[in-house]
Amino acid sequence: MRATPEHELVERCRQGDEAAFRELVEQYKGLVFALTARSVADRARAEDLAQEVFLRVHKGLPYFRGEARLSTWIYRIVTNVLSAERPDRTMASLDEVSEGEHLARLQPIANDRAFGDLVLKDRLNKAIQRLPVPYQVLVNGHYLKGLRYEDLAAALDMPMGTVKTHLHRAKRQLRILLETEFR
Amino acid sequence: MRCEHLEPTMEAIADGSQEPGAEDRDHLQTCPVCQSRLARARMIHEWLPLRDVPTPPASFTAGVMARVGRERWRTERVFDLGFNVAIAAGVMLIAGGGAGLAWSLGFLNISIDWAALAVAAGSNLGDRVVPQIQTIGMAAMLLTMTLALWWWAETDSSV
Repeated sequence: MRATPEHELVERCRQGDEAAFRELVEQYKGLVFALTARSVADRARAEDLAQEVFLRVHKGLPYFRGEARLSTWIYRIVTNVLSAERPDRTMASLDEVSEGEHLARLQPIANDRAFGDLVLKDRLNKAIQRLPVPYQVLVNGHYLKGLRYEDLAAALDMPMGTVKTHLHRAKRQLRILLETEFR
Repeated sequence: MRCEHLEPTMEAIADGSQEPGAEDRDHLQTCPVCQSRLARARMIHEWLPLRDVPTPPASFTAGVMARVGRERWRTERVFDLGFNVAIAAGVMLIAGGGAGLAWSLGFLNISIDWAALAVAAGSNLGDRVVPQIQTIGMAAMLLTMTLALWWWAETDSSV
């Protein structure tokens, strides 16, 4: 079996090649930083967390067996780091908005013109930060280029069909948050 | 009733992964609540890919490499300390074992009056320390300052 460039890069990192690890950071920093910065409002903290992810990658490389793609493994580390950062959001159930509670609060929205304007962007970002961490990572990861359903499924340890279902649920929670708390 | 049935499926309808049935379609055309929900679900679906992608600062990689370097240095320092302690313990063990062996074989015949030795040591120590108290105080102060500076430098470099 021929070694892929990814395997070769990992192997070089394992052998202590600093340039190889720098290359790895360069390759994945965009993805990692985007995920942390989209989950944590404070940019400096997001950078700190992104660096923490790479520190864990560096420590974990000797144990990385290459069964999953490197991006999947890194993605899983991002989820763990974000979960440690926000334990209040980690254990929140993926179905934390109870049906009865939601339906009772939900009111018809007749004229919400602001919903379509630029304010939505800000409200959407704030609402995403209120989601449980797995949902946050799912939404943020799915809408970033380069993360496939398969990667998300492997990183979150879920079947692919479940990922799609959870993505719908995450977006539903977003809609509920926007309807109720970020109006 | 139809609203409650439709509500959990809004996101799937909005992104096109689920087609509403005939009854649901009729309901959607007449119910303002469901229309509003569907409009909002569609809006979210369209807006999510349009969000800005935050980019890391130019110094990001250098920052990671510096942290990795610091982490490696810390790990090596722990290993060094452990190694030195192990070596010292080993040397003491060998020396003690050798002395014990020599004593048990009769090569060493040491008899010590521990009480007299302690009294003499105490008296000697008092006689030597009291006249030098100022020098000892200064040395202690310098040592404390050095340790404090070292601690400060360590703390600062680990930020």
